[in-house]
Amino acid sequence: MTPPTPPTPPPPAPSPAAEADKRASFEREALVHLDSLYRVALRLTGNPAEADDLVQETMLKAYRAWHQFERGTNAKGWLLTILRHAFINEYRRRTRHPETVDIDAIEPFSVFEELQDEDPQGTFFDRIVDDEVLRAIDNLPEQFRETVVLSDVEGMSYEDIARVLEVPVGTVKSRLFRARRLLQQKLYDYAVGMGYIKGSAK
Amino acid sequence: MNCRECKEHLYEYLDRELTPAVEQEIRQHLTDCPPCGEQFDFEKLFLGFLRARCRAQGAPADLKRRILDELLDE
Ligand SMILES: [Zn+2]
Repeated sequence: MTPPTPPTPPPPAPSPAAEADKRASFEREALVHLDSLYRVALRLTGNPAEADDLVQETMLKAYRAWHQFERGTNAKGWLLTILRHAFINEYRRRTRHPETVDIDAIEPFSVFEELQDEDPQGTFFDRIVDDEVLRAIDNLPEQFRETVVLSDVEGMSYEDIARVLEVPVGTVKSRLFRARRLLQQKLYDYAVGMGYIKGSAK
Repeated sequence: MNCRECKEHLYEYLDRELTPAVEQEIRQHLTDCPPCGEQFDFEKLFLGFLRARCRAQGAPADLKRRILDELLDE
């Protein structure tokens, strides 16, 4: 007869002081990025209620994994990676269809070249309101949308974006180039439609 | 550096992703070549405009509190 194995003692419950420390450091290092996370979530889901849920879920997951976060490294990038995985696994199917784009099929369009004579200083941009710009971003294919949001809205470096999106830096560069040109084109077409600029007859 | 090479680095330059040496070469070309200078100015303005138009929005005011409440239950 084998003697019963002694029960393993339960792990010591974290002291209330340790829990309070964890919450304080999480609040200081992770929750400060709440606005960024929300902006990215909103552009990914296209809907405030879903963005709210996605950010809450991201923060909860991040809190549970907080011991794995290497202090002093890029907390924003770490959080955005968690957010993006949650989005891909749980939200994308429900909200938008993942789009695949033949990047090379997009003809880069330089608004500057169109406007060189009429408005080389780009003053027409001043007349385009926030909502119109957000709509143009939301209508970009997903790969372009997420790249442009991390760069132009959140100001992240190519290397940090590449890490979050899990693609090579060269891919970030080419997506950014095409995404920005696509956006320019949409906003240019809008401005011509509104009569802000004459544009060139095409 | 010629115009084509300069324009190839357009966004990397504006995003501050180049080495100081290449950045310096481009800055020199932009000074020497007004057409390239104008185009870079236009693109810089465009990126600034995008950022300004999109950053106004932040998280809802009570989201932080709701998350903190949730963490207390963990
Ligand atoms: Zn030139």
